[in-house]
Amino acid sequence: MKNKIKVYRAMHDLTQEDLARKIGVTRQTILAIEKGRYVPSLDLAFRISRHFGVNIEEIFIYGEETPAAHG
Amino acid sequence: MKKNTFYILIGCIALALIAMLWYSVETRQPLPIEAAFIAGIVLVYLARRRVEDLIEDERSVKITEKAAVRTFQVFWVIFFAFSIGAVMEILHVPEFPRPFHPEQPPVILPPRLMGYIQLGILCLMIFLYVGFRIYYARKYGEWETDEE
Repeated sequence: MKNKIKVYRAMHDLTQEDLARKIGVTRQTILAIEKGRYVPSLDLAFRISRHFGVNIEEIFIYGEETPAAHG
Repeated sequence: MKKNTFYILIGCIALALIAMLWYSVETRQPLPIEAAFIAGIVLVYLARRRVEDLIEDERSVKITEKAAVRTFQVFWVIFFAFSIGAVMEILHVPEFPRPFHPEQPPVILPPRLMGYIQLGILCLMIFLYVGFRIYYARKYGEWETDEE
């Protein structure tokens, strides 16, 4: 699963720390999601997309595998 | 309470427990360390509830879960395998017809040694858990660095 969090962060002029605080996770989690090391839960994915005011599919692209994030 | 204060408190509790363990060994009384251990866990639990900073989220919970499940999977296989052997020591098969003066079977594994080995296995599991935790933390990007 790929995502465009970094792009949306840049568009909203947010640092990882800012976004993490607003979403209620650690900065390391935002970094791990951006790098494809961790696939967020549906709940967290919705929280992120709602924060940016877009649909979940705009940020998360299903079907593109990032092997490190599974298992 | 701040996150760092919480970690310092954990360190202090750990030191107090080591001191209490020393005292228990010196006086040959197991009760002080047992009571102190339970009190220490309760203190950590209460302090954790008062931490205002975010110290846990779904990713860290997942890392903990994965490490715990893997450790448990290894633990029960090793512990069960050893315990089966230990049970063989206790339940020796009766012979028929029963001998008039039954001989005691030779003791291969004395109960005290059995206890030490089980304690060793438990301690080994702590190291195994730490190892799994490091593995999954790396896997889920705990120590990733970014250009930010």
